Amino acid sequence: MALSTDAYRALEDIVGSKYISQDPAVMDSYAYQWLAETVRPNQSKFMPRPEAALLPGSTKEVQAIVKICNKYKIRFKAYSTGWYFYGAPFSEGVIQLDMRRLDRVLEIDEKNMFAVIEPYAIAGVVQAEVMKRGLNCTVTGAGASCSTLVGATCYHGSSGTSIYTGELRENLLGAEWVMPNGEILRTGSLGSGCGWFCAEGPGPSTRGIVRGALGARGGLGVYTKCAVKLSAWPGPTEYPIEGTVPAYRSPLPSNFRAYTVAFKDWDSLFESYYRLYDNEIAYYAHRQWIMLGADLGPAFWMLYQNPTKSLDDIEEFMRKREVKQVTKEMRYSYQLVLVGMSQRDIEYKEKVLEQILKETGGWKVKKWLEPEMEQFSLLYLLRMGKKNLNFVYTGGWIGNYMQAGTPDFTNKYEPLAEDTIKKFQSKGLLVDCGSDSMMGCVGSIGGGGQCGLEQFGFYDVADKESTAAAIEWMKYCLQEEAKHNIPPGKEGMFLAVGKTHEELQQDLAKQAAIHTWQRKIKQAVDPNNLGDRMYPTLDES
Amino acid sequence: MALEDYKEDCTDCSRCSYCKWIPLDHIKSAKFARACPSIEYCGFQAYSLGGRLSVGLSLLEGRIGYNEELKNIVWECQMDGACDLSDKICRYNIRGLEVMREMRFKLVEDGQTLHQHKPYIDSLHKEQNMMIEPRARRGKWADGLDVKNLTKEKGAVVFHAGCRYSYDKGLQKKARAAVTLLRDAGVDIGVMGENESCCGGRAYQWGYRKDLNAFARKNTKAWTAAGVKTVVTPCAECYYTFKRLYPEIGFTFEVIHVSEYIEFLIKKGKIKLSTNVPLTVTYHDPCHLGRLGEPYVPWQGTKEKIYGQIPVWKPSRPRYTGAWGVYDAPRNVLKSISGLTLLEMERTREYAWCCGAGGGVLEAYSDFATWTAAERLTEARATGAEAIVTACPWCERNFTDTVKSQDEKMQVYDIIDLVQMAL
Repeated sequence: MALSTDAYRALEDIVGSKYISQDPAVMDSYAYQWLAETVRPNQSKFMPRPEAALLPGSTKEVQAIVKICNKYKIRFKAYSTGWYFYGAPFSEGVIQLDMRRLDRVLEIDEKNMFAVIEPYAIAGVVQAEVMKRGLNCTVTGAGASCSTLVGATCYHGSSGTSIYTGELRENLLGAEWVMPNGEILRTGSLGSGCGWFCAEGPGPSTRGIVRGALGARGGLGVYTKCAVKLSAWPGPTEYPIEGTVPAYRSPLPSNFRAYTVAFKDWDSLFESYYRLYDNEIAYYAHRQWIMLGADLGPAFWMLYQNPTKSLDDIEEFMRKREVKQVTKEMRYSYQLVLVGMSQRDIEYKEKVLEQILKETGGWKVKKWLEPEMEQFSLLYLLRMGKKNLNFVYTGGWIGNYMQAGTPDFTNKYEPLAEDTIKKFQSKGLLVDCGSDSMMGCVGSIGGGGQCGLEQFGFYDVADKESTAAAIEWMKYCLQEEAKHNIPPGKEGMFLAVGKTHEELQQDLAKQAAIHTWQRKIKQAVDPNNLGDRMYPTLDES
Repeated sequence: MALEDYKEDCTDCSRCSYCKWIPLDHIKSAKFARACPSIEYCGFQAYSLGGRLSVGLSLLEGRIGYNEELKNIVWECQMDGACDLSDKICRYNIRGLEVMREMRFKLVEDGQTLHQHKPYIDSLHKEQNMMIEPRARRGKWADGLDVKNLTKEKGAVVFHAGCRYSYDKGLQKKARAAVTLLRDAGVDIGVMGENESCCGGRAYQWGYRKDLNAFARKNTKAWTAAGVKTVVTPCAECYYTFKRLYPEIGFTFEVIHVSEYIEFLIKKGKIKLSTNVPLTVTYHDPCHLGRLGEPYVPWQGTKEKIYGQIPVWKPSRPRYTGAWGVYDAPRNVLKSISGLTLLEMERTREYAWCCGAGGGVLEAYSDFATWTAAERLTEARATGAEAIVTACPWCERNFTDTVKSQDEKMQVYDIIDLVQMAL
């Protein structure tokens, strides 16, 4: 449905002519999205084109826009940094709210350890600002370019540091929410005028309601501010950076240690997870390097250290004896950062790690103990400023099998994940980087206890056959998961974007209670049904 | 090449937004974390590298046609390369800056030009300069200098002043100072006088592809006739054009920026800096000397897939990551000056914020150029410096004019000024 002239003028009056556009080229820049090719006809890179794009500059403007949307029955979708097709309109007739003008870190409460942020305050910026006060934030696993607010309010925001700093959804405190009906709800302690310090009260607690089962991802109103809990940072006020672009690294003080720890098999690896939970020594614990494949990943990380080399040279690296040795050594491995709050503390944590490795038969991979490799690890893992390397092979990847559960549960589905990808890698349709390209948190919630591994499959976005194989692989994984009584992984969420309403209803009916309640919540706050199905609901019939 | 040849670069964009920020590892504050003036000033996604890649794809797929907004998307950008650098932290295969340039070529070739650029391009074609000045006055800046005229006698080293230094009356004295400095240090240097021509680089970056060839041929022919082996220039844009673009189309000379030559002469003891200069300064890296100033590496190759689906180039395609630009020479010159304190801005070296003058923005979107410079001056002020020093006349002109228009107190210098003060 095209915007009426009256509606457009009303929106223009709110933001001013500079901050609204209907130009087709501008609209296509919003429609273009990673993963669109997996759900759109002819593998198009474009999601449905928005009717208009607006750049609101305040909560007041957001509220006024939403009220106009209700008046004219215009559907709307807000995004912050706009990564993933979730941020784009799912149908015609939607206006896009680009939140990039709301980009401030409004307050850092050092004593109570929280920061108040706007939607476009990316994790890299929030971290840089809070580091100056001896604090750190959860940098979402998607990396430093992503919105901290979105991870806290609309999704999960798990991270390599979740084991210490908590998942972002755990760290959400007070928030300001422009509901789809145009009302503003200040949640948690903020709602009773008591400040930002608590999500659950004294004031309305809506944390679970608005996120729903998986995160509303822009489908249920607009968050304009929130507070997030911060953690201790016993390091410098900014990262000291060395190295040549792109292989930047950071020589942090001796109370920071980064390791790639490895084990003889999966059982030992997962056993070490439990011991890390029990002993609470990890600041960062995540399986990161293997996301590029157990066979190919080590070669890539070693070539990346050389600024004169590129992906074009990876075969040369694969032939090196040292690379072969490292590949073998780190086959069952993950990354660990220990941070001592004092010298005694780091010494204690080191001893505990040694004991864990002794008891589980693990070791520290030698190559990653070299000072430059350790410095690279520290910067990469703590800032997450190079996370987009997950696109380096082909420009496209899918993450299947992502589940949250105990290490034992993860251990159960890991072999299945390897089996399902082999079929596609062996035909050359996905990058053959090794069937273990499993990435994920050792502890995805504060304190640990829950983890997950995501199977990375790399497809060439410019190659129709490869993209088709990626779609097929996702479907195949869902079948295999069902066969083995494992819940659908992230691929289920991806494919859901392309499903018809009827197909989706069949899926939602499998968890009827949650999706029925979500319908009731949506009806209460979105009576005109202006959000999209990222907040999924089961029809009454 | 044509835009069609870059289709895979467009579809490869993962929409991650790295292009909007300085390398994320380097972010030290919210205030100075941004890399791209275009998206910051214009706001909409289309005004970022990622946005332009999607617009390029949209054009290729026939989803959009030409209109005024599209022209703004294509030209309201300094082509400073900061986006490209940040993007290449993680993405080897996307040639972002080339795609943006190719879009300009396409629009120009399809007759979709900016009317604001027309007088400058006309001037280039008629008067051989981008300053809308008569060709006959090009050599005036060097009047009275005791320096060889290489149109009349042979010489191994030519000083190419560039259009801005040749005609900008406020800056000409710096070109004179540079030539004098080099000559007094014993360099057998000469100038081309009124026969010096524009390098063609600015027009090329504005989308006028053919002009580069024409001016490369003209300049190199004149240099060859004069026996020139080495080209020295004080202009970062000319430097980039000679160092990176000319070899790409087959014209190769030794190219040295004047700051590199001065550094060399200081090291050799040929230039002695003995006067105290009690000044606290910060150095602005010109985009075309820094991240874009990497030397051209000859290469030809083909694309193939390895490990099933990884597209790679055989032989390895050279990487232009900004790593090998000219960063240290100007800093070393400044550090050689006694009494002078050099402070670094947050955005420095390969991830420096642009001055605002490049890519045809100064000529077509002057408010945007001023805004961009003002942002940089704010950053310079935040260091505590009294002066901002640069090594490019376009940067200097834009900073100087912005200082005047905004009642700024910051002093603006070219590195040549400070060397002259320190003699």
